[in-house]
Amino acid sequence: MINFVDTLIEKKAAEEIVGVKASDSKYIFGKLANAGELCLNYDVTLLPPKKYFLPQRETVFKFKLGDKPSLEPVAEAKSTILIGVHPYDIKAIELCDAVFTTINPDPNYLLKRDKATIIGTDCLSPNPKAFCASLDTATTESGFDLMLTDIGDSYVVAIGTAKGDKLLKKYAKTREATQSELAGRDGQRKKALGEYKVSLNMSPEEIPGLLEVSWGSPVFKEKSEPCLSCGSCVMVCPTCVCFDVQDDVAFTLDKGERYRQWDGCMLVDFAKVATGENFRDDKEKRFRHRMYRKGKYLQERYGKLGCVGCGRCALACLAQIASPAETFNLLKAS
Amino acid sequence: MVMQLTPKASLHLPRLAELVRVESLAQREKVFELKLKDGEELGHKPGQFVEVSLFGIGEAPISISSSPTKKGSFELAIRATGNVTNALHRLDKGATVGIRGPFGNGFPLDEFRGKDVLVVAGGLGLFPLRSLINYIRDNRADFGRLTVLFGCRAPAERLFCDELCKWQDCKDTEFLETVDVGDDSWTGSVGVITTLFLKIDIEPSNTYAVAVGPPIMYRFVIAECVKKGIPEDQIILSLERRMKCGVGKCGHCQINNVYVCQEGPVFTYAELKQLKEAV
Amino acid sequence: MKPKIAFFDFTGCEGCQLEVLNFETEILDLLNQVDIVNFREAMTEREDNYEIAFIDGAISTESDVARIKAIRDQAKVLVAIGSCSSLGGVNCLKNFYSMDEVLKIVYGKDAEYYNTIPARPVSAVVPVDYSIAQCPVNRYEFIKVTKALLLGKKPEIPNYPVCVECKLAENVCVFDKGQTCLGPVTRAGCGAICITQGRHCWGCRGLVDEPNTDSEKEILKEHGLTVEDILKKFRIYDGWLEVAK
Repeated sequence: MINFVDTLIEKKAAEEIVGVKASDSKYIFGKLANAGELCLNYDVTLLPPKKYFLPQRETVFKFKLGDKPSLEPVAEAKSTILIGVHPYDIKAIELCDAVFTTINPDPNYLLKRDKATIIGTDCLSPNPKAFCASLDTATTESGFDLMLTDIGDSYVVAIGTAKGDKLLKKYAKTREATQSELAGRDGQRKKALGEYKVSLNMSPEEIPGLLEVSWGSPVFKEKSEPCLSCGSCVMVCPTCVCFDVQDDVAFTLDKGERYRQWDGCMLVDFAKVATGENFRDDKEKRFRHRMYRKGKYLQERYGKLGCVGCGRCALACLAQIASPAETFNLLKAS
Repeated sequence: MVMQLTPKASLHLPRLAELVRVESLAQREKVFELKLKDGEELGHKPGQFVEVSLFGIGEAPISISSSPTKKGSFELAIRATGNVTNALHRLDKGATVGIRGPFGNGFPLDEFRGKDVLVVAGGLGLFPLRSLINYIRDNRADFGRLTVLFGCRAPAERLFCDELCKWQDCKDTEFLETVDVGDDSWTGSVGVITTLFLKIDIEPSNTYAVAVGPPIMYRFVIAECVKKGIPEDQIILSLERRMKCGVGKCGHCQINNVYVCQEGPVFTYAELKQLKEAV
Repeated sequence: MKPKIAFFDFTGCEGCQLEVLNFETEILDLLNQVDIVNFREAMTEREDNYEIAFIDGAISTESDVARIKAIRDQAKVLVAIGSCSSLGGVNCLKNFYSMDEVLKIVYGKDAEYYNTIPARPVSAVVPVDYSIAQCPVNRYEFIKVTKALLLGKKPEIPNYPVCVECKLAENVCVFDKGQTCLGPVTRAGCGAICITQGRHCWGCRGLVDEPNTDSEKEILKEHGLTVEDILKKFRIYDGWLEVAK
């Protein structure tokens, strides 16, 4: 594996080779200088790999001001290989793909996405708030170019696409996996399923229906009481795709750019209009909206559940209220 | 995997348009006539909106005030309230702005055809409804009776006064208006817009009511329409939200599972009843 | 006609004016767009026909009160820059003592020659159009606000907590490092600079419009702080709010 990754970096297999690295006591996706930096046995990254397709801040176009204003579209992308993406994040990328590439395809997203190669890795040590086992997102059969599973002394590689196959052939030494190695992979995956500390008391298919009848539930008010409206849950979420759009000008006041940046429905002013009305003016409404987006709305719109159970929101939430699993279980119990 | 669709570069990129006329309507309201610089028609339906860009300031969703029957240019009537609209009000004829759209579903014109249409405009709600009213008047034979109710706070806040007079004098349009508070010069009705419902006689099953106004107005207007016996799927409303991207991505205009910029801004009351945060 | 702008300092460390001056390249661009007519830290000439006044420092003497009122009368737009002018800031720590005591501590036997009043933000004396708190003022935000004013646009000052920018910067949460932080209730706009640099948020940008301070206090308590510790934390920059209540 080290050889493969070093070769990718040395031979410049893509303009950016990105992987999971340690950062303080946590992990992040970042540019790899060498294979030694790569941590494949990690629990979860602070931000999901979504940032490579929908960056925190992104220029949409540049403009020149004056009597004859002119515009210049900006859609930039470097070819990127992402190494170490967990299955739940791959599922989340599939949802982002549905949002940005099906209805009104988004040129900025699409360009970046098309130039990306995803090398996944099975998550063998889930974080304490994750509940992927309950959402069928602990493993995935699609959405990757290559998928790696650590079976102790070597990796089993599954080939997802022709692009992945080509990359592997060109830069790695591989051989056909033996039956016992494949069995080893199944064993690792099965073992990992038992590591999840949080679980849903229902099947994922039940969630939209549960929410259908839960609108007036007191659970939302109770749970949202300590909400700080700090937006941490939505900022770290791999399926949150909302953004704000703003203009910035140079101090010469003759040119500038329009950019978009991550925004979130848990922030106080998110649904405020120019006349001052705020259509989700209290934390209960915002909390409920987020839960419905995760458990119902995105499912209805794109056929995929809006939560992949990565647990990032629950890890980030100081008020300890953000986990959709917890709220869904409470609603089910009440 | 990624679907192979060709993205339009114009999804977030405005077209340039020139202000060919700017006219004051009331203290804080002006109407702007625009021409796309690429020479194309905007190609909108009444009830749709555009995103107007003032580069360096930002972008704001604005409903289209002119009827698509008016060719060569389109009109936006705008109150100065936010950054973009205030900056627009400082512009003169000849200035360049950006336009994206038209966006949204617009009023269901096909359903209106052959039916009576009752238009209920509260204050600035007249702006998008003017597009519909003029469209119907330009295609008068396609529609049944046209009744327009207009209410605003005070006589000084009346909008498009010339046109209001025209509608008043025209035999094929029934026009009634009221102000919340009159003044010395005002000889017309005084009272909220719902008081006008007492003065009209409609055939409910054959009537589409189309109301646009401040959120507070909707509850009362809906109640009047229901009282008149208009079926819930023939009561049509347009909602205001903060449409930032206009293309169903940014999430700002979302009500439950609906994106107002995509499935709206025009909804039937029957649809709105299913949307819990709508009105 | 270039708009005329002026800078005035009140009670504070003058760090804000220095911060603006330190921004050399942008200051040159700024000079092309505006006429600076009053800036004690940077120039000796003065004019009193400015349109935009930038104020740093808190109001803490009777003569400050008269002076800020005169500035307000002249300025079309008045912007408080830095924590002292926007929030009262650290100056308000003295408000927890009697003014006599304060004078004695500072001036000793010469106390009788001075006067002082409880420190307060500019907005407690005259209407303020925009406040950009931060200690010292964030020069990037100062530039952003100035550009907005020149374009005739209302400056966008975030109304969400520092957590948003901290997450975007992909920092490890201060609480996860066993420390405490005021980020969850403090107005963003700093890019979570302190946390990014390995510290915690002190709250120098003041509270967001609807802070859930009760929840924040609970969280601080859970992380080992006493009520006294928590009050102290909030008092550093937000003492004015506590007294004003």
